[in-house]
Amino acid sequence: MKQDRKRILEHLQDSALIQVKSSGEKAQEGFRRKDTASQLKQFERNAELTQQALHILSRLSPEKKGMLSSFKGRKEIDPDEIGRIAADSAKIISVCQKICQLDKQRADYAAEQVRIRTSLAQLEPWRQLDIPLNTKDTPTTAVLIGTLPKAYDNVQLSEALAKECPELIFEYEILYTSPNMTCLTLFTPKKQRESAEKALRTIGFSQPLNPTSRTPMVKMQRQQQKSEEIAQKDEAAKEEIISLAKYRESICETEDYFILRSEKYKVLSQLDQTNHVFVLYGYVPEEDCKALEALCQKASPSCVVDFGEADEDAPIKLKNNKFAEPAQSIVTMYSTPAKEDIDPTPILAFFFYFFFGMMFSDAGYGLLMILATGLAIKIFKPDKRMRNNLKLFQYCGVATVFWGLVFGSIFGDAPAMFYNMFTGGNITMRELLPWPILDTQKDALMIMILSIALGMVHILVGMGCKFYICLKQKQYAKAFFDTGLWMLLLCGAAVLAAGMAFAPVMQTIGLVIMIVSAVGLVLTQGREKKGIFGKLIGGVASLYDVTSYISDLLSYSRLLALGLTTGVMAQVFNMLSGLFGTSPVGLIFMIVIFLAGHAVTIGLNALGSYVHTMRLQYVEMFSKFYEGGGRPFEPFSTKSKYFKMKGSKES
Amino acid sequence: MYGMFLAILAASIATVFAGIGSAKGVGSAAQTAMGVLSEDSSKFGKMLVLTLLPGTQGLYGFIVGFLILINCGVLGGAIPTLGQGFAFLGASVAIGIGGMISGFAQGKAAVSGITMTAKDEKNFSKAMVSITLVEIYALLAFIVSLLVVISVPGLKV
Repeated sequence: MKQDRKRILEHLQDSALIQVKSSGEKAQEGFRRKDTASQLKQFERNAELTQQALHILSRLSPEKKGMLSSFKGRKEIDPDEIGRIAADSAKIISVCQKICQLDKQRADYAAEQVRIRTSLAQLEPWRQLDIPLNTKDTPTTAVLIGTLPKAYDNVQLSEALAKECPELIFEYEILYTSPNMTCLTLFTPKKQRESAEKALRTIGFSQPLNPTSRTPMVKMQRQQQKSEEIAQKDEAAKEEIISLAKYRESICETEDYFILRSEKYKVLSQLDQTNHVFVLYGYVPEEDCKALEALCQKASPSCVVDFGEADEDAPIKLKNNKFAEPAQSIVTMYSTPAKEDIDPTPILAFFFYFFFGMMFSDAGYGLLMILATGLAIKIFKPDKRMRNNLKLFQYCGVATVFWGLVFGSIFGDAPAMFYNMFTGGNITMRELLPWPILDTQKDALMIMILSIALGMVHILVGMGCKFYICLKQKQYAKAFFDTGLWMLLLCGAAVLAAGMAFAPVMQTIGLVIMIVSAVGLVLTQGREKKGIFGKLIGGVASLYDVTSYISDLLSYSRLLALGLTTGVMAQVFNMLSGLFGTSPVGLIFMIVIFLAGHAVTIGLNALGSYVHTMRLQYVEMFSKFYEGGGRPFEPFSTKSKYFKMKGSKES
Repeated sequence: MYGMFLAILAASIATVFAGIGSAKGVGSAAQTAMGVLSEDSSKFGKMLVLTLLPGTQGLYGFIVGFLILINCGVLGGAIPTLGQGFAFLGASVAIGIGGMISGFAQGKAAVSGITMTAKDEKNFSKAMVSITLVEIYALLAFIVSLLVVISVPGLKV
């Protein structure tokens, strides 16, 4: 019913359950749309005004923010407070207008100052002149004031004038010279005025552009006074703006309020309505259907909710367990899954953490990551998005600790280094740690084989997903021939490689598997081509793809390279910090170098690990099966920047 | 003695040439990034990531150099024979030249990636992945250098 419209919309917005969809370009038969364009524009203009005001405020009186404040979650407010913000909004908007107006005035003042400075610069050469620039002739004497485009001294000028007009009688005073200008006043008997002018003109004499009736000195003083006055006014305006900074929080809230309103009005304009009822179409995640129904019943008993199957164009909402959820942002950064894709998040999450750990591979750094992210979550109570990002790094930290222990690296070789330094022993991490470790430097070849083997698993999992998708879509030929045979070939290669290390029998088995699958590929890959030769050539040509698999596999050698980089950099800084011996001064140096060095190592290598683990997911695995291109689910919600409603579901 | 000289020369080649590649790559990327930041300083995080991507070559070179130094008697290990010195030298050329030229190329890619991200921040992950495509060649060079360097002390030449 129409009278419940406001309540229902407010409840929907708070709950963020539904993505509203309009029923089409125009309202359906028998319905009307409400035109909210003008209100919407008003709200948006207000929101923009508040943004502008905040911008000015942050320029003139920057908010004191801690370095870590970006982790902070939005402020929680009670839904009732919205009423207060709404009531205050008119006042706050006028404050914003005042701020913008003052800022505009300040811009005008600045322009005026520039103008004054220019005119002062023009007057500067005339400072010595004690008569006004527009002095007229006396009854007997002509006065000529102006500039010549060259430097003259007294002798040169007399000579130049005498040359031009030998009979001229004159008296002059040079006021100012610079390499390309000479300012002078020249007196001559009135009857000789014309010949004097002519003589002067031939050597380039020109009169000042804006002569005034006051002496230049007085004029300059006036201008300076004016400039000072303007500076004072400007300062006052600035003070006033700064004094308005106390409204900053209210302005933020007001901005959010108008964003909120404009969101609501956008939806309102998409409703089909008659005089008594209104209809709202939208997408709801299946799991939330019950909640939505309950909510609508609560808001308005006469409300009817009807669910149907989603159409082709439906948006996608990813849903994952606690372990995989942080990695969702990595998936959506690539692309939201399309309807026919499977959600790759759980697989991606596992490999993302795992590979990150292998590249960062230091138990000490991993522990720091776990602690730092844990503390940030605890102290700042960040919003969901930020919390997920922190969680992502926390899980990566766990994997990092694991691999750090495998590679025997705790802040590089710090434990062994300190042990040696204070006891004078000569021990390595391998001897110090009670479990067998893989040394990144000594066992590099071994780790490289391990990296490529892990890569093989990663790629096979990706292809397995493709296989599954094809089966689900009943494209059996694609599943078995295009994906299955390649998987078989790769497995054969793996068995062959393992056979080289362990048992010659496996070599034969691996070779047989590879040959069988290769023959299978030759026979099937050309199946869409015409003619027997076409089919055969297509099949043989497809074997060329093997190069792309080889390059994919080699790409995993970065697991070794980055793992080694972390270890070696840490070791270098440990070595440097140990150079100064165990004297008190040496210990201070040691602590400083140790802390700074490891900070650098963490920064560089965490970045490298993050980027490269992402690349392994995107390029090596996603290319095997993932299409993407879906539309993310964007529910009708409170898209506020500064506050969030208490108890509302986060978007 | 000549062996040690060759080993030190090798360490320098690996560090310096790969460093040149990274320095030029990061330099041009940083220039572009600062242009973007002058318009919108809120993109600093993303720009930093893209700018640092061509920086790994220098690190790889440095690591090869360091591993040579701890294996050639300067920071540990035995003094190498003449043959081992040549082996170090041969190994260092891979990451030196590979790192340098891939650094140049990655720098160019990073510049384009930065302009792409400046236009639309959604392009960030695509830019990042495309820039790391270049990296594989520095990596391969690094691994060749690495495998040789760690096996040199056992070589009987």
